[in-house]
Amino acid sequence: MNPVDLAQSALEAPVGDLSLLTLFLDAHIVVKFVMIGLLLASIWCWAIIIDKSILFARTRSQMNRFEKIFWSGQSLEELYRSLSGRGNHALAALFVAAMREWKRSHEKGRAALGSLNIRIDKVLDVTIAREVERLENRLLFLATVGASAPFIGLFGTVWGIMTAFQAIAASKNTNLAVVAPGIAEALFATALGLFAAIPAVIAYNKFANDVGKLSGRMEGFADEFSAILSRQIDERL
Amino acid sequence: MRVGLVTSAVVHVGLILWGTLALPDATPFEVTAVESLPVDLVPISELTDLQRGDRTAKEIREVPSEAEVEPTPEPEPEPQPEPPGVQPTPEPTPPTPEQTPQQATPEPAAPEPAPEPEPAPPEPEPEPVQESVPEPEPVPEPEPEPQPQEQAEAPSEIPDTARPRAKPTPPKRTQTAQNKDKRNDEMAALLNKVQPAGGGSQRNSQPASLGARRGNDNAKMTQSELDSLRGQIGRCWSPPIGAAEAEGLLVKVKMQLNRDGTVAAPPKVINTGSSQFFPAAASAATRAVLRCQPYQLPADKYDAWEEVIVNFDPREMLGG
Repeated sequence: MNPVDLAQSALEAPVGDLSLLTLFLDAHIVVKFVMIGLLLASIWCWAIIIDKSILFARTRSQMNRFEKIFWSGQSLEELYRSLSGRGNHALAALFVAAMREWKRSHEKGRAALGSLNIRIDKVLDVTIAREVERLENRLLFLATVGASAPFIGLFGTVWGIMTAFQAIAASKNTNLAVVAPGIAEALFATALGLFAAIPAVIAYNKFANDVGKLSGRMEGFADEFSAILSRQIDERL
Repeated sequence: MRVGLVTSAVVHVGLILWGTLALPDATPFEVTAVESLPVDLVPISELTDLQRGDRTAKEIREVPSEAEVEPTPEPEPEPQPEPPGVQPTPEPTPPTPEQTPQQATPEPAAPEPAPEPEPAPPEPEPEPVQESVPEPEPVPEPEPEPQPQEQAEAPSEIPDTARPRAKPTPPKRTQTAQNKDKRNDEMAALLNKVQPAGGGSQRNSQPASLGARRGNDNAKMTQSELDSLRGQIGRCWSPPIGAAEAEGLLVKVKMQLNRDGTVAAPPKVINTGSSQFFPAAASAATRAVLRCQPYQLPADKYDAWEEVIVNFDPREMLGG
């Protein structure tokens, strides 16, 4: 093929529209799977992000509200009675768990106060662990996507470029207009990988930090409440 | 969780739709017409050749071209003043001043009457000069201006002076070598009909140009050929590995070569070094020079590599 023919074919080569949809549809089947997987991962990541954002905001406001009520001087018995009926989270759950243990220790005529303090601490610890687990739930998925999505996208890109080069070898034409679409398709996979990974990494860091803060707040409340109950116990002994 | 999942899916679908429909396509690059540049491939010797001249001259002079100028066969005994800077080598002299008259049998076609009479080459006086020039001969001085009618018939007249630079051989060469040389000359004369002689800075009356004493007239010792010599020597050289202070171990060796590439005289170390390892390095360098002979060098440029100074620098060898 002489240069003039090459130039002609380059000029006449159909300049396919390189929109996202055609990039996806023209890709190799492996690359397509990679892209679909990355898209699903991105959807799931964002679902987790939205869910966690709502959960953390709600938990924070619940904590604020409960602390306000708790330190308002209201009687603990009354507060327990108003809270015990419904499902509680965070600080309210801690309070209810500790109060329940206190009540049970006073149920049978003679109060079992000897190791009540230890029991209350254990109950609080268990409750904190449960609450933190609820907050941390699914955050691991964000970390996994953030770490592995670029590699998955890179895999798709490498595969796409591989097939593109095979196609070039088969067509025996190294014109850039022939080479470029295949490489663009392949690079689209990496773009999707980064598209999924970047929000996942950012959100994971933010949520991990939030979980640390909330659990710290719960532990602080648990220590305070445990101190109050311990004082009560010592007065009754 | 459902709220998050639904929201996320909807937003992704929206993003994809927006990307497909609204995201602008890549705009094609502007291809501007560029004027094509002519590119010449030139041999590197044009850049790396040294011009023949005098090292102390002040300026570079253009030397008249020698390509077309034919030496006129009629001897012109008029002694032109030689240029001051140039050791005069009478180029176009036919190689007649060889050892024996019967050796010169192929050449009587050359109609030079003047240089023929004394065919006694071992005149002692040109010996001290390295160029081994039979100086006092009545040189058939060519006239610088080309004579066209001479050119036309030149090939038949001068069949044996195709490689005039190869002629002034040192007299110590053997008969057989000279025979071989002569055959080569005959062949070359048959092959090469263009006489690249005459003109040039050698027999110019103008002052010498700035340049190397051994710079080219016809012999083009290019940088790549010098590198080739360097590489040939370097293969046999075992540099003083492990010797400390490799900087002080630069050894300069002056070597004289025969025409067949062998070393003519024991190589001389011409510098001194402060290092205690310098004697070892110097002997290693001389050993390398002796061990790698004969060297493969272009025979027609013998004047350029007859005497060579080679630098043995361990830093270059050790990757410094």
